Amino acid sequence: MSYKIPMGPYHPGLEEPYKLDMICEGETVQDAELNIGFNFRGIEHLAETRNYYQVIALMERVCGICSFIHTLTLCQAMEKLAGLEAPPRAQYIRVVMSELERLHSHVLWAGIAAKLMGFKTMFMTCFALREKVMDVLQAISGNRVNYSMNRVGGVNRDVEDPSSLLPLIDELEREMMRTVIPIFTTSSTARSRCAGIGILTPEKAVSCAVVGPTARASGINQDLRRDAPYAAYAEMKFEVPVEKAGDVRARLFVRALEIMESCRILRQALTDMPPGEIAVGGDKFNFVTGTATSRVEAPRGEVIYSVSWKEGSRNPARVHVRTPTYANMPAVRWMVRGARLADTPLIQASIDPCYSCTDR
Amino acid sequence: MKSLETLRQELGIAEPWVENRGTWWLNPGTVSVRHVAKVMNEMHARFITITAYQLPGTEGFRLEYHWDLHGRLLGLPFVIAGNAMESIFDLCEAADWIEREIHEEYSIDFTGRAYEPLLLRKGDKTGVNLREDPNAPPKPAAAAPGPKEVAK
Repeated sequence: MSYKIPMGPYHPGLEEPYKLDMICEGETVQDAELNIGFNFRGIEHLAETRNYYQVIALMERVCGICSFIHTLTLCQAMEKLAGLEAPPRAQYIRVVMSELERLHSHVLWAGIAAKLMGFKTMFMTCFALREKVMDVLQAISGNRVNYSMNRVGGVNRDVEDPSSLLPLIDELEREMMRTVIPIFTTSSTARSRCAGIGILTPEKAVSCAVVGPTARASGINQDLRRDAPYAAYAEMKFEVPVEKAGDVRARLFVRALEIMESCRILRQALTDMPPGEIAVGGDKFNFVTGTATSRVEAPRGEVIYSVSWKEGSRNPARVHVRTPTYANMPAVRWMVRGARLADTPLIQASIDPCYSCTDR
Repeated sequence: MKSLETLRQELGIAEPWVENRGTWWLNPGTVSVRHVAKVMNEMHARFITITAYQLPGTEGFRLEYHWDLHGRLLGLPFVIAGNAMESIFDLCEAADWIEREIHEEYSIDFTGRAYEPLLLRKGDKTGVNLREDPNAPPKPAAAAPGPKEVAK
């Protein structure tokens, strides 16, 4: 006899509100229904009522983890409409902040995944590391979560001595190599909880059009930093990790390898950062009538902003946001099919979901 | 560039691709969105999203469909005079949530599919969030940036 088990909208295994109704046969999940919208704030509507400074602060609050990425994507779209291009130093600072945010997101995710595996020591280790990443973000921006770094035409704050941040990056990388990566890749706890569960086949990944590490863990070789470079990514040398297994362990491996690649990119960006101004365009902007679209590879995958403006207006006519979790979340239905009920919190966490982003 | 030309020929569209602000635009003319979705699947293009814009007065809506082809961002705008558009959900699973969301935000009906609520709850009224009443007075403009905002 099949029965339905609701998980959420408020559940100890989920930090944000959403609901997964699982249809089970015994302990095995046969199918699942997803329900979102518990965090819906009407941000796209609000954006239409904010001027070109306020809208940046508003969109920074779409997501707590990727706040820099959201403003970067928005500012890139607004720069297209204002006919501006951020100066080279600002482009490098954008790369530095984006990669630090990726490190922050991946380490935070690793901690939560460890907690869901029942691996509390690892959870604490990851969160201690996360603090170090946040210290670097604070050293650059003065803030730990919403950084207020982006503006139309560049960035608000300079990195005054980029080389002084290199020892912090070295320390982070050392700690990752010493503890996080070996434990996640070799420990029997991680293997037994992650290997072979929550499989998303390459065919299903293509059909669901998933993005980011979720796609790369199912064998899809895509990354906007390489395929459609923005900011200063065209000048960075890095690899795009791809795994084929499509299970939770593959998603873990992809993120672990991406942490190392982020450290590599950070070292290049901090070493090669060109001198010069950090913003152009002054304080007032003239946007032309039209639509501009911008895409950025966020820690969870592709973020896309479509911004529409009417010339002479202070506020956008329309801002549409498609976040990575919005693309990845429907695939959870296929990942949990056939899984044991006890594995479902970890499976849904393996896409690193953000419902704040998804609901907007 | 070759793949874009192949795609245009497969779609049966005479007008060329136009690159504007980093997006490659193609005017679909009379070609249906379902034919576009089928060809995009054959070309292994990745569906990204649909962005809906309400046109002034009672002119209808513009729906911009975005796909990614080998890192190129493609845009195909479809203008609809009424409230209905063919669904591509059966051809493109990834379009499910965004069709449901646009239905809730603008009350646009994607024909040929069933709906479950996405951001709203069962029984909630659609078209409240982003759809504007053409007879309503214009919205007040956003305030001019103040000295504190500019000083940041």
